[in-house]
Amino acid sequence: MTAPFLHIRGLRKDYGIVNAVKDVNLTVERGEFMTFLGPSGSGKSTTLYILAGFENPTAGDILLNGESLIATPSHKRNIGMVFQRYTLFPHLSVGENIAFPLKVRRWGKAAIDARVRKMLQLVRLEGFEDRKPAQMSGGQQQRVALARALAYDPPVLLMDEPLSALDKKLREEIQHEIRRIHQETEVTILYVTHDQEEALRLSDRIAVFSKGVIDQIGTGPELYADPATRFVAEFIGDSDFVTCRILSAKDGRADLSIGAGASISGVPVHGTAVAGGTAALMLRPERLSLRREAAREGTSGLSASVTDITFLGSSIHVAAAAPSGETISVRLPFGHEATSGLSRGDTVSLDFDPETAHVFCG
Amino acid sequence: MTLLTEPDNRTAAPRARSVRSRNFALTVPALVLLVVFFILPVVSLLLRSVMEPEPGLDNYRALLGSTTYLKIFLNTFSVSALVTIVTLAIGFPVAWALAIMPSRWASIVFAVLLLSMWTNLLTRTYAWMVLLQRTGVINKTLMGLGLISEPLPLVNNLVGVTIGMTYIMLPFIILPLYGVIRKIDPAILQAAALCGATRRQALTRILIPLAAPGMVSGALMVFVMSLGYFVTPALLGGTANMMLAELIAQFVQSLVNWGMGGAAALVLLIVTLTLYAVQLRLFGTARMEGR
Amino acid sequence: MLLNFDRLGAWKWILLGITGLTTAFLILPIIFIAALSFGSSQWLIFPPPSWTLKWYAAFFADPRWLEAAWTSLRIAAIVTVLSVLIGLVASFGLVRGRFIGKEALRALFLTPMILPVVVLAVALYAFFLRVGLNGTFTGFVIAHLVVALPFSILSITNALEGFDKSIEDAAVLCGASPLEAKLRITLPSISHGLFSAAVFSFLTSWDEVVLAIFMASPTLQTLPVKIWATLRQDLTPAIAAASTLLIIVTIALMLLTALVRKGLKS
Repeated sequence: MTAPFLHIRGLRKDYGIVNAVKDVNLTVERGEFMTFLGPSGSGKSTTLYILAGFENPTAGDILLNGESLIATPSHKRNIGMVFQRYTLFPHLSVGENIAFPLKVRRWGKAAIDARVRKMLQLVRLEGFEDRKPAQMSGGQQQRVALARALAYDPPVLLMDEPLSALDKKLREEIQHEIRRIHQETEVTILYVTHDQEEALRLSDRIAVFSKGVIDQIGTGPELYADPATRFVAEFIGDSDFVTCRILSAKDGRADLSIGAGASISGVPVHGTAVAGGTAALMLRPERLSLRREAAREGTSGLSASVTDITFLGSSIHVAAAAPSGETISVRLPFGHEATSGLSRGDTVSLDFDPETAHVFCG
Repeated sequence: MTLLTEPDNRTAAPRARSVRSRNFALTVPALVLLVVFFILPVVSLLLRSVMEPEPGLDNYRALLGSTTYLKIFLNTFSVSALVTIVTLAIGFPVAWALAIMPSRWASIVFAVLLLSMWTNLLTRTYAWMVLLQRTGVINKTLMGLGLISEPLPLVNNLVGVTIGMTYIMLPFIILPLYGVIRKIDPAILQAAALCGATRRQALTRILIPLAAPGMVSGALMVFVMSLGYFVTPALLGGTANMMLAELIAQFVQSLVNWGMGGAAALVLLIVTLTLYAVQLRLFGTARMEGR
Repeated sequence: MLLNFDRLGAWKWILLGITGLTTAFLILPIIFIAALSFGSSQWLIFPPPSWTLKWYAAFFADPRWLEAAWTSLRIAAIVTVLSVLIGLVASFGLVRGRFIGKEALRALFLTPMILPVVVLAVALYAFFLRVGLNGTFTGFVIAHLVVALPFSILSITNALEGFDKSIEDAAVLCGASPLEAKLRITLPSISHGLFSAAVFSFLTSWDEVVLAIFMASPTLQTLPVKIWATLRQDLTPAIAAASTLLIIVTIALMLLTALVRKGLKS
């Protein structure tokens, strides 16, 4: 069996009594685009900084091609990185910035010039060679930073929220650039962000960080369709939670009841389900259908009363209160028949396919 | 070399310790210099005030019990206060004008301020000695205009010291006050006008209160700096209005009385540091004698 | 209204008048001294009866003036180098360091700036008398270094705090060793702070009078000490000549600073 390309094993980082990273385990394939997604303080950036060598782990190891990186100082790790803030060297021109890692590596002048030209071409900034960083926009600066980080063909490129300082339109534009560059260079990218949309748009796989551990690793659709924890369910896509009672559980499926309503069977269950215990049922607004009558026996639905209707252009958002008082959102396409004449206070039945719902225990 | 301490790449165990004192070593050269050549000498001077010629508070008794010395203290404070008031009275309108005048004119004034600040202290004092002397330009001009018939005594007295010190202190109040006034939003004064305030009311009820922290802070700084000034009072002042710094120098140089010198130094030091503490308390930062 | 120059009405002219007079008050003595240094009158009569260069000739012919100027220059140069070096290292410690008492240490480093110089002068004088440094070149350098260092630390910590450490980290990840990253990236980026530190340190030493009066010996004195000693005897125009030379040095340094600032900006 060959060793994985990049292997993070039992990584832990304490700052005094604060436990920033608890236990991170992860393998990354060569050429993969892996995103660390999570809220601030979830340990994703700390993990990245340990990879860069700016922080030492309290415990654990990082293996690149089977060899530990921990003892190697940052400047010998041969890793590329694009930072959250603009980190172009202010006194050097764009060309000199990209040439810097090559000069440090004592490349010949001709080779450096050729590489600088190639990198500028890669990030589509030909002709900007002699500009100073201060004369460029934020987006351009980050593209130069990308070129500089890739100039020496690092096996791994780290990106720490590189687009967070840019406005939305520019951010999307550069996301496309990053995707293209990833495809062209086939470099392995570890990308940190707290923006789920960005993560979904860019990544091959996403590692969802929460409180110092990875809750789940998977492709975007996997995380959306089959979240392993309530946190992942909340973080990827929209979701509402309704309290329910477990009737029975077997083979990862549970039968449950909501309030006094009918039982729903075959809902995927996460955590330890105890018959008779309460749990949280996750419902996605776009996976619910709405009927204008009380829920019937034999369907996976629940009765609710409409509290608000909001027109959002292409869709209509209906908020409804479950008997327990919890709010459930439903998103319907504009013009959907069920919405015509719908008004506050109406009793409706919200139906869903048990397979698309998830129940989280404990 | 420790100059470049990075998060060191050793194992986890000794890190807690190394983090606690990371990069402290870099400050050691400066620290040693200041401890050996600043703190120790000053402390030992202050110690001599209670040790020489005999242990006890005799020096302080002599210093605070004699009308000669008390007069010098009083004179130091009143000269400093006078200089502060004059500087503030001139400095406020100048800072105000600088904050709003066209930048082309303002830059000329700034250049002059900086040139004056950067010019050697002795040069500036010398210039005033020449200008103010009995046969100097100022007396000549006033006599030429027929305003006076006898030369006025302008030097070696309070007038000379005040003019010379004001000249030196003006930039120290104009520059910080300029910064404060610059930060006031003109819209606040427009609002005052719309509320019906006249110019005078806007000045006394809005602009001056808003600039007051800068004025107090600048005035405190000028006052404290004036208290310890040596060269200008020594050259432009007379024997009748000696200041504290001169007294300290005299004790040490002419009288070789280290005990009294140390005692006078302690008095100056305590007043200075107390006022800086007040400044720090009130404004958070001590604006120091930045050139 | 009050902060709008064009809508001040009559007040505008009052403010301009005060500012104009103050500006004249600040500049005229300097111009006056420069003019008198070319005047022929021994008694500094203004306007001078005729113009001459004899005071400059006297200045340059007198080895005592020249020696004093040379001493000043050497002391100021050494103080500048030491102050910037020690200040640079200490600033890295203060800005990047993590240790108990850091803020207290920073305050301590700046105290020589707020302490009345005469107290330090008397204290150092007593100390140097005991350890045999009084009247020595080394003593001079140390005394000036103590008062120059705060300016250096202030300028460099300011510059270093304004410099994003991520830029240095980026250089390290690019493959530069921590030392190389500091020399090739960080230092050039904070060069304006280093330059201010150097200029302030130089001027602090070059212009310093009070410490110098106490440190000087009959055989070793700086230009300000020489001026001071001469002043106490009479107001000879030779001082005007020496002062004018000092003013020229000051203006040259100001112009240099302005040029360097401009150069750094573009």
